[in-house]
Amino acid sequence: MPETNLTSNLHLLLPEFLLATLAFAVFAIDLLLPANRKKLLAWVSVAGLIGLLALALALLWGENEEMYGGLIKVDSYALFFKSFFILLGIFIILSSVDYVGKHLSHPGEYYGLILFSVLAMNVMAASREILTAYVALELMSFSFYIMVSYARYNPRSNEAGIKYVLIGAFSSAILLFGISMLYSTIGVTHFADISATLANAGDASPALWVGLALILVGLGFKVAAVPFHMWAPDVYQGAPLPVTAYLAVGSKAAAFALMLRLFAEAFMPSIDDWQIIVAIIAAITMTVGNLVAIAQHNIKRLLAYSSIGQVGFLLVGIAALSETSPLASNGVMLHIVGYSFTNLAVFVGIIAFFNMTGKEEIADFSGLADRHPFLAAAMAIGMFSLAGLPFFAGFTTKFYLFTAAANEGLLWLAGLAIVNSLISLYYYQVEIRHMYIQPAPDMEGKLEPASAHNPHPPPVGGGAEDASRHSPTPLIIGVLILMVLGTFFVGVYPFPIVEALDAATSAILPGAGS
Amino acid sequence: MAFQEVIFWVLAVSSVAAALGVVLLRDIFRAALLLVVVFLAVAGFFVMMNAEFLAVVQVLIYAGAIAILIIFAIMLTREVQQGNLPNRLQPAAVLFPVLLLAALVFVAVDTDWNLLQDQSRELQDNVEVVQTHTIGGIPDEMRGDIPGSDRSGLGELLINDFVLPFEIASMLLLAAIIGALVLVRER
Amino acid sequence: MPLEAFQVLSAALFCIGLYGVLARRSAVLILMSIELMLNAVNINLIAAAAHMDQTAFTGQIIAIFVITVAAAEVGLALAIILRIFRNRSTVNVDEVDLMKW
Repeated sequence: MPETNLTSNLHLLLPEFLLATLAFAVFAIDLLLPANRKKLLAWVSVAGLIGLLALALALLWGENEEMYGGLIKVDSYALFFKSFFILLGIFIILSSVDYVGKHLSHPGEYYGLILFSVLAMNVMAASREILTAYVALELMSFSFYIMVSYARYNPRSNEAGIKYVLIGAFSSAILLFGISMLYSTIGVTHFADISATLANAGDASPALWVGLALILVGLGFKVAAVPFHMWAPDVYQGAPLPVTAYLAVGSKAAAFALMLRLFAEAFMPSIDDWQIIVAIIAAITMTVGNLVAIAQHNIKRLLAYSSIGQVGFLLVGIAALSETSPLASNGVMLHIVGYSFTNLAVFVGIIAFFNMTGKEEIADFSGLADRHPFLAAAMAIGMFSLAGLPFFAGFTTKFYLFTAAANEGLLWLAGLAIVNSLISLYYYQVEIRHMYIQPAPDMEGKLEPASAHNPHPPPVGGGAEDASRHSPTPLIIGVLILMVLGTFFVGVYPFPIVEALDAATSAILPGAGS
Repeated sequence: MAFQEVIFWVLAVSSVAAALGVVLLRDIFRAALLLVVVFLAVAGFFVMMNAEFLAVVQVLIYAGAIAILIIFAIMLTREVQQGNLPNRLQPAAVLFPVLLLAALVFVAVDTDWNLLQDQSRELQDNVEVVQTHTIGGIPDEMRGDIPGSDRSGLGELLINDFVLPFEIASMLLLAAIIGALVLVRER
Repeated sequence: MPLEAFQVLSAALFCIGLYGVLARRSAVLILMSIELMLNAVNINLIAAAAHMDQTAFTGQIIAIFVITVAAAEVGLALAIILRIFRNRSTVNVDEVDLMKW
């Protein structure tokens, strides 16, 4: 048995250890705080995450070391996603504060679970071994299962929770069966070993092929690629709003961080076997996602289908991966960043709207521009960016992805993706027309208390609630401004990010010099 | 060897029959009891494959804890005897598994496992592979002095090479406990 | 026993579980079918490990983690089922249908 030296570079995992400690601290402080001071937990979590971000950047910049005998690798790819996930956690917590105070009980566990999931995502992006990646994936999924069903007395949330758990366990079983086929064929689980074995195996044996196919199906369920997407709209609609936002952005980003490393580092040698399959799944996913989105009436369901469409775009990048060009890998990561800013801008707008009115049908947004011009403008910017209009993040990131696809000879896929962007413009424009052109219904209906839609009474609250029903809180506005700025930043001046991406790509694809 | 084959066939037939019972019986309580039969048969397979520790874990966790939890949940449902109803997807639900089964059986029979193992062995020069080409019936000299003494290797691997997943799994269990408490506790 | 025997057995259990997940309505039964699939995975893993090498335990290690995760998953799923049952008095997945499945 090879001896592993466990203690030599353990300090490289300090951010992860401290993140776990932070989560435990939040659970513990929760026990000591009186019920009306629980907001403090959010600030503790955010402060801790900001500290961790600084620590991670200072400690891990330029590191490139394997740990635990190659189970995980602390490299620039891991660091890039670590910073991304920590930032994401901060924004999600900030945009949850008002919502949690009004609609959810047990805030301590809620923030602690967000921290757990951030930890899991960090490990997912760093892991270079199938078992480690799988266990981290499950930790993230478990946090999401709980958060999705967090509105305990809301039957929709319960329903979303049970559907998500069952689909999650089901897809894990398929993924694991694929892993077991892979393991029984080649007997190794480290990405580097898999890659070496595949490179020498010549023709893939049928068993290996079935294993890869099942792994692909399992991951397809996890990211909600068509035809494995049917759970996504229900879960998105039933989950509490900030969790939906987190689900749409965080779980997808983490799953793609894992997939990108898996496909680049482990499955690259047999790209001829899976490229066309991934390309076809990408094509079906974006087409179905965007076409079905047209028919939706609920804003959460609309965004669920739109996020399925975005998964299709990201899969285009996976299909276009190449050993010699960093373009596709950069494109996937840039799209993840741009899509996150954009989607969060829309979601935070919806959260602010829901906090005021308790409504989430598209028709309810009529006349929003008159009453809350900033809110409407931010959401419109987000939707234009999702549709891929120039000057917004969506255009730049899609441009990278489609160029990569075209370079790899997947011209038909790039063309289809552009058509899909146009389709998506249509349904976003419907929503924007509601906000800007349709007249507002009478104010009486708009100001119906939020609790009417939620059977359980708000756990905390008081005088502040009345004021916040008429206008968004400064906190939400602040997050929204940051997201809009981020959308423009990625759209107009993405070069600093692209530099970081080049470093990240060269960590997972050493051959792709930039 | 013949004895092993008899055991294998007995376990195989009983586990597959019990598994079919789990998904086909109307009475969901009986289905749960048949699930325990499957778990125990699988534990038997683990013993045949020299994974005694896993067999014990299988009996304790699956046949013990998981089965109890499931039966507990079944007791909550009112329509125990007619609880296991089919949904509206019957044709597809039969078609997919049958196709997959055909593919998997073809793959299992068609693949030359020994060849693949040899290939991968050549590539992993850092791992010393001792190949037997059959499962069970290992020569005594390979099992160490006491049968089952190689379990210490398993534990060593768990807290040496795979200590990171081990730690993440502990967080995962904690998350599950917290989640179950938060969701079920009233106020 | 040859490896193929265990592989076919595992495939059979996996597909029976798959049928259960696709065809049944009760959330508890879907959970049971998923356990069947996970048992198939474990058989496959341990057979491969035993076939490869008497001292390579990676397959068994993965199986241990599969069992751990499965146990936690069942616990969590049953907590949610319990919550649904308290709110709605049913555990059939397609009776829980405020939203389309």
